[in-house]
Amino acid sequence: MLAGMALALSELPVELMVRHGLERRVCDRGGEREVQFLFADADRLLPVWRNGRLQILRWGNRRGESAHLPCTAWTQLDTVQNGGWSDRAIESVVVPATMGLDKGVWYRIRQGIRGLVALDERGGPRVYVICEPSSHYYQVMTRGGSWMPALIDERI
Amino acid sequence: MRSFNAIGHLDADCFYVSAERVRDHFLCGKAVGVLGNQGACVIAKSYEMKHAGVKTGMPIWDALRLCPQGVYVKRDFRWYEVLSRRMLDVVRAFSPRVEYYSIDEFFFEVSAGVNLQEMAERMRDAVLREIGVPVTVGIARSKTLAKLVSDTAKPFGALALLDRAAELALLERLEVTEVSGIASRRAARLEPHGIRTCLDLASADRRLVRRLLTITGEALWYELNGEAVLPFYTERPPHKMLSRGGSLGGTVARPDRLYAWLARNVERLVEELEFHMVCTGALSVYIQHKDGSDGFARRMLPAHTDRFDLLMEAANSALAQAWSADRPAIRMHVAASQLRRSGFVQLGLFDAPPERAEAVAKLKREVNAEVGRFALRSGATLPLADVYRDEAQSYDICDVRGKICF
Repeated sequence: MLAGMALALSELPVELMVRHGLERRVCDRGGEREVQFLFADADRLLPVWRNGRLQILRWGNRRGESAHLPCTAWTQLDTVQNGGWSDRAIESVVVPATMGLDKGVWYRIRQGIRGLVALDERGGPRVYVICEPSSHYYQVMTRGGSWMPALIDERI
Repeated sequence: MRSFNAIGHLDADCFYVSAERVRDHFLCGKAVGVLGNQGACVIAKSYEMKHAGVKTGMPIWDALRLCPQGVYVKRDFRWYEVLSRRMLDVVRAFSPRVEYYSIDEFFFEVSAGVNLQEMAERMRDAVLREIGVPVTVGIARSKTLAKLVSDTAKPFGALALLDRAAELALLERLEVTEVSGIASRRAARLEPHGIRTCLDLASADRRLVRRLLTITGEALWYELNGEAVLPFYTERPPHKMLSRGGSLGGTVARPDRLYAWLARNVERLVEELEFHMVCTGALSVYIQHKDGSDGFARRMLPAHTDRFDLLMEAANSALAQAWSADRPAIRMHVAASQLRRSGFVQLGLFDAPPERAEAVAKLKREVNAEVGRFALRSGATLPLADVYRDEAQSYDICDVRGKICF
């Protein structure tokens, strides 16, 4: 399961960086720096292309936050396709990503990840990462990860 | 008579990683590992990852411990071939005689009257400028010396070394296993005779080297002493054997899945036979089991053929002998030998008329050329749907044709 992702620093406008205090998420592993968004973060966020704009939204729903939405950060592609979210107003979105993280492995992502945005009871948008069964390659690479993010025009 | 002045060797620096960086600037400056067919092993690494202690062939879980900040990418041999052939074009612009040694290595002959150091630098810079791949160029008096020179000048080096004193200084500081063609087993044969460095080998009695390492080692002795004796191939010589196979992507215990791998490998082999316009007279199957044991079986064919149905029948019989059914398999190779040019083969006395099989083969070729490789394939491969779904599995390093070395 996706444990986090990173976006190249150049992909994030300064205004968003400042507004959401993203500077502390900037990491340098050589070359262009990146901004990391981890599931383990206290403030769990993800960048999302929504309504033609790049936004920073809450990633999923933690226990005690919203009673209206499922307590998870991911949703399965099958669930979405089989109408599992049909009782809520949802939108498909793209989570732009330069790298994904799963079981300690940082791997390159070319464009991004499919996501779904749902509104909580206060109208606050929350993004869920869409997952699908892992390819054999992904399973081996992540030593048994059985779910992988649904990537845009790419299959690892 | 020798018509050239020297031999050059161009070697791309961490080629697969460099190729990924050509199309993906984000990877520049980072520790990058390219993963192999199954996603389990690092088949190429950047210098940043190398400095962290990661070695080629290392499983990803070991690499992660040494280099947790590394970024891993899936290999793409189609892309690497595109860049490889463009590098070949650049090298050919400098020299009319080029050997396409491997996907990232080229030998070239240099005529007399050329400033060799300047040429090495110009060639290195041209490849970087035109293709974006950093390379190292070594020029010396023989192929073996040129390769040693480029190996020691890495990364992004350019060095012409023809002075004997400089050659000897280089050979003195290199272990004999640095010579291409001398691995640990051969080195162990040399060791009792005090031959540990390249200089030891070059200075040893030629007859002793021949006795220890046969004629192959004798050729290396000449090469280290500046006499170019290894053949120089501007075209790949005809294959004596063709084979397809490799890792099974984990352990395979189910007979239907192993049979599916057999069908896949035989189909790939048939592609090669057709491409090289040869038929085979013998088919071998090699199986490696998970417990380390292996099995091998060979079948002589009643007549030379490139027909899938006949080869599959022979391969299936060989598989039954090579595979111990109580042991899961992890690798398979299917090899065709006793190759003969198509059109120069005699039909078997009891063969069914080939028209029907040829029509099927022709249709398969045409559909796959039009729609995509493996779009039309044997029904026996159905248990491998997961493998065929992965686009990257449809093109491997062995599919890059024309190079001398694997």
